[in-house]
Formats: sequence, C-alpha cells, structure tokens
Amino acid sequence: MKLNQRFGLIMIVATLLVMAATVYILFDYQRDERESLARAQGLDLVRLLGGMSWDELAPAPGRQGFLELLRRGQSNPDFAYGAVVDTAGEVASEVTRSGVIIPANKIADEPASWLGQQVVASRNGDTRFIESHAPVFADGIHRGFVRLGYFEPRLQLSLSQMPFMATLMLPIFLLVPLFYFLLRQEIKPLRRISERFDHLAEQAGLNHVELQPSQALSDFMEQFSSYIEATQTRIEVLNREQESLQMSSKLLTYRNNRIDAILQNFPDAIVVIDEAGDVSYANSKVGRLLGIEHGNIIGRKPREWCSDPKIVPLLTFGDVKSGLQSNQDTVQVRLEDHSEKSLQFSVYPLFVPGDESRILGRLVVIRDVSETHLMRQRQNEFVSHVSHELKTPLNVMAMYSESLLTEGADDEQYRIEAVNVIHDEVERLSTLINNLLAINQYELGGVVAQRKHVRMHEFLEDTFANVTRSRAEKGLAFDLEIPREMSMVYIDKDLFRIAVNNLLTNAIKYSKPGGRVSMTATEDDESIEIVVADEGYGIAEQDQKQVFNKFFRSTDDNIRQQTGHGLGLSLARQIVLMHHGDLSFSSELGKGSQFRIKLEKVSTQIMDAAAS
Amino acid sequence: MKKILIADDEPHVLRVLKMSLEKEGYEVAVCANGMEALARIEKQAPDILITDIQMPLMTGEELCRHIEEYMPERSFLIFVLTSRTEIEHREWSRSIHNLLFLEKPVSIRNLVDRLDGYFSETTDSWKVM
Repeated sequence: MKLNQRFGLIMIVATLLVMAATVYILFDYQRDERESLARAQGLDLVRLLGGMSWDELAPAPGRQGFLELLRRGQSNPDFAYGAVVDTAGEVASEVTRSGVIIPANKIADEPASWLGQQVVASRNGDTRFIESHAPVFADGIHRGFVRLGYFEPRLQLSLSQMPFMATLMLPIFLLVPLFYFLLRQEIKPLRRISERFDHLAEQAGLNHVELQPSQALSDFMEQFSSYIEATQTRIEVLNREQESLQMSSKLLTYRNNRIDAILQNFPDAIVVIDEAGDVSYANSKVGRLLGIEHGNIIGRKPREWCSDPKIVPLLTFGDVKSGLQSNQDTVQVRLEDHSEKSLQFSVYPLFVPGDESRILGRLVVIRDVSETHLMRQRQNEFVSHVSHELKTPLNVMAMYSESLLTEGADDEQYRIEAVNVIHDEVERLSTLINNLLAINQYELGGVVAQRKHVRMHEFLEDTFANVTRSRAEKGLAFDLEIPREMSMVYIDKDLFRIAVNNLLTNAIKYSKPGGRVSMTATEDDESIEIVVADEGYGIAEQDQKQVFNKFFRSTDDNIRQQTGHGLGLSLARQIVLMHHGDLSFSSELGKGSQFRIKLEKVSTQIMDAAAS
Repeated sequence: MKKILIADDEPHVLRVLKMSLEKEGYEVAVCANGMEALARIEKQAPDILITDIQMPLMTGEELCRHIEEYMPERSFLIFVLTSRTEIEHREWSRSIHNLLFLEKPVSIRNLVDRLDGYFSETTDSWKVM
C-alpha cells in the first residue's frame, strides 16, 4: 500500500474516532445533566411532599392523592415512580411509569437518614433508580416516607438529537478532505524525493526494497534509508570508477610526460604542424635555436612568430597535402642576437598510423649544424690551403725545371738561380708536409714523445741557426741569448724542434723589414724559459684568442700577405703541452709579439725518473 | 706585339713566366696582387690576363668579378691559375665570360701553345683544358 493511501485511511479513521469521541462526550454530558436534574428535582419534590400530611399523600381509597397529581404534572421523562410508604415499608399509595415496579427499599430508622437520596436497583436488577425520600408526618407523628424514583440516566441517542448531530458531524466530515488535500500538498516534495529515489534506484539497477505495510509510519524512513543505501552503493561504484579513471589518467599523464621528456631532451628542435598549418607541438629547443620565446609558438602559424623570410617557407613547405614527401634543406640564418647559425630543416609528413593516405600534419626537425658546417668549412679551407701550399712550390719547381730543360739551360746565372729556387721550394714543401703529418699523427693520438736527454744549449743554438740561415732576405737582425751552461732536459728533440722552429719562422715571417728577431733562454731552480720575440706586425686583440686554433689565420692584410696554413702555432702548443710545459704569448699590434715556452724542471726530472 | 699581364704573389712564378713568354715574343707585364693588376688594366687593357687566385690585398676571384662588373665590354681572355680541380671551387667563374682555368703545376710549353692558338684564331684547341 502506498504511503499516501495509508495516510488517507489514517485520516478517515482519525476523523471517525474524533467524531465518536465528540458524540460520547456530548452524550455523557447530557446524561450528567439529566442525572443532576433527577437528583435535584427528586430532592426538591420529596421535601415538598414531606411537608404535606399523611392524609394528603395517602388518601383513602377512591380518592386522588398528591402523588397522582405529581405523576400527571411530571414532565421529566426520567421519572419512574412515586410512593408513600409507612414506617414498615408498606406502600400506602404509589404512582409508577408503566412497566416499573417499585423496588424495595428499607430506609433506616434513624431520623438523620430519613431525608436522603440513594441509588436503588430494581427487583430483577436490570434497572437502577435514583431515589429521593423524605419522612411524612401526621399530626407530628412520623408515619412513613415519601419515595420518588427517577431512572438513572444512560447513554442514549434520541431521534430528536439527530439534526443537531448531523449539523455537528457535517463540518467535521467536510473538513477531512480539506485536511487531506492540505496534507497531500505538504508531503508533495517528499513524494517527489521518493519518486526521484525510485528513479535513481531503477537507474542504478537496484531492487526496490519491499516494505511491510504494518510499519506505515517508518515506511518513509525505511524507504529513505534504503534509498540512501542505494545511493551510497551507487556512489561507491562511481568512486571506484573515478579511481580507475584517475589511475588511467595518471598513467596517461606519466606516458605523456615521458614522451614529452623524450621530445624535450631530443638533441634537435622539433616542431609539429597540424593540418591547419598551426604549430601543435614544439620542444623548448625551437625557441632557443630560433631565438623566439617558446610560449609564443604553440597554436600559431609559423609566419606569425617567425619573421625570417628564409625560415618560414621551410616550416610551411607549401600546403600539407602536397607535402607527402620528406624534404630537407640547410640555411644560414642571422638571429636577433646577431649570431649566425647553420640550421638544417628536415620535414617529414605525419601519417595516420596504418593509413598512409591520411596526413595529420608535418614534423619539422631543426638541427643546428653550425659546428658541422663550420668544421666542414674549415676543412674545405684547409684542403684548399694545403693544395695551394703544395701546388705553389710544385708549380714553381715545374716551371723552373721546364725552363731549364729548354731555353734557360744555356744561361749559367739562370741555372744557378733555378736550382736555388727549386732547392728552397723543396724545403718549403718538406716543412709543410712534416707539419701536416705531425698534426695528423697528433690528432689520431699516434704521437708518442720519444724523450731523450738533450743538452738545451746546443739544441737551441742548432735550431736557431737552421732557421735563420736561409732567411736573410728581409734584412732582419737575429739575436740569440742563451746561458752557456744549461741543464739537460728530457724531451723529444724532433718534436720540440718543430715547436721552436714554428715560433721562429712566424717571428721572421711576420717581421717588418729591418726588424729584429731574438731568442732568449733563462733557467732557474724550477724552470727553463724560452722566449721568441719579434718587432713585427703583432697580433690584433680580436685575433689573440684564436691564434692557437687550428687553421686559424688572421684577416689582417699584413699577415695575409704571408703564406701560411694556420697550423704552426697550434702544433707548437700541442707539443709544449705534451712536455707538460706551457706556451703563452703577449703581443701588441704594430709593435711585435713574444712567445714564451715554460718547461718545469721538476716535471722533466719526474719524467726522467719514470723513464729510467 | 700581344700584351700579357700576369698577377701572382709568387715572385718565382712571375720571373719564369715573364722570361719564357718574352722569349716567345709577347710583351709581358707582372704584378704581385689583384689591386696592382686592376690599376694596370684600367690604364691599358692587356690581350691576355693570367692571374693566380690566392693573392694578398685582392684575390684573383675578386679581380675577375670586379673586371666583369666594371668592364662588361672587355675583350681580353682571362687565364686563372688554380690548385683546386673540384667544380664547386670554380662555381664563382660561371658569371664571368671569357675565362679559362689553368691547373697547377702549369706547363710553360702548354701555356705557350694555347696562347699561340688563341691569337692565331685558326684553331680552337686553346680552349681545351
């Protein structure tokens, strides 16, 4: 049974109960009224009658007494009987309502209880009477009693009261539907909640909890709690689902992070451009490489964040549909910070996995090939230089020898000149080849210093003489200042000769005509120092950092006029370092340079001990 | 007499070439770099210019470009002495007309033959490298 149906029933029952109670109270009140009326009336009347004489009350037979008068004039419907009895209880006169037999009643002899009232049961005990009695006197002598009995009032409905009852009941009955309607209105929200729960439970696939019809009052609460239980179950299910979703989400985030980390740490810059031509992904290297703020790239078209006319077409490469093939190009770009870079752009189409006809966008990988480019450029320059350096003496030798074979052979002076030139060129070639081989060997790690005990004085004197002998053409002055006595050093004589040789050759090469080239050596307890100084063009400040770089050549015209391949100083430094020494220099543009080799004696001694 | 201008920073090359070509009956002028060569050409255009590439102050390449730009009407032939054979190192010369490369080491005999062929205008063999 539905809750509201029960409510209706309760309402009706309650109404009926109220009505019954009302009727009962009403009837009870009426009965009380009648009883008190009967008591009062009875007592008044017996007093009145008690004041009368015996004869008046109990006349001779055939005469109408006062009792008859009383009966006839009695309007009280509860009047039952009236009797005059003598002191023995014998009835002298009586009036009764039809069907009523006067009950026996022995009134006590004491004068105090002569006047009184009591309830008396009829002879068969069915009916009870309220009897009032008073003494009757004749000529001052107590003769007997007058007794008046009234029916003890009972609850009863008389037809005459029906209209009143109906009038009373009608509004009560009419009010019930009104109350019911109001109540329904009041519990409407509850009903709605209940319906929702029903709906919820249905959706959750839960069984409706069967309720016992007897527990009507707690029905709602039970239903409510069952709905709460159902809701809790549903919430738990949802929570579990959410947890599993969160796990999946965490896993996805982790994977996503991992992929992002891979892409972010990829050595090259990566840009992904979607079908609409917008950048959908870019790792942080893009911004760094192109000098653009990383946040400005995502979700925008390349032309919106890149102003370089050389780069934009490489990022767009026409429209996506035509970009089915990979493409690669390298450009030189000048960035906003004025640094120049060589960037290699590789564009790859991004196909839908398993469906090569559908393109998701393009992947552009940007690689900084500046180093490679620079290296290649340097190598190219080097090869170019070397071939020039090799072919120039070769060319001179070829020409001289060819001319010797033909016309010039007759001329004695020309012949001497040619032979000298050829000899010089051979020496030049030989030096170059030696340097090249040495540097090549050193770079391959194949050079192992062949250390021997060397007399420093002789070594320096010899090297100096060899270099200066054939180079008197500029009118240079040569100075050699070395102590007569110098310690023995433990060095690779051949390698060390190359180092000193290169310093001396440079000093001569970059001297101004008529200048001075000197080599001085000093020795103290700890070290030996060899200084090669010139009064030449000097090294410009911007070049000073690079003079030891392989293949480096100054752009200074005075320096450029001299042949060279940018290897001499690099090689000299490597050799000195190999001997645990230090090669430094000081130079002033236009005034000359001093190159300083410092050899720690300790290190050479340690080497000595280690070797022996 | 046909005038030949030689630009090279290597004095020995200049000396041998000058001597050899003069013996063959050419009027030879020499200079040590591109700048000097340009100054001479502006005064009097030679019939042949022989130039090295690597020279101080102005390289052979710069000299040729300059000539091409400022003397588009010039008629003289340019021989460029080169030590590199790769095509990529000759790319720059595409835009310059009447230019031939002479690979080092240069044979004087070969050079004289080509010069003679060029001036005699009877054969095209001088064009062949």
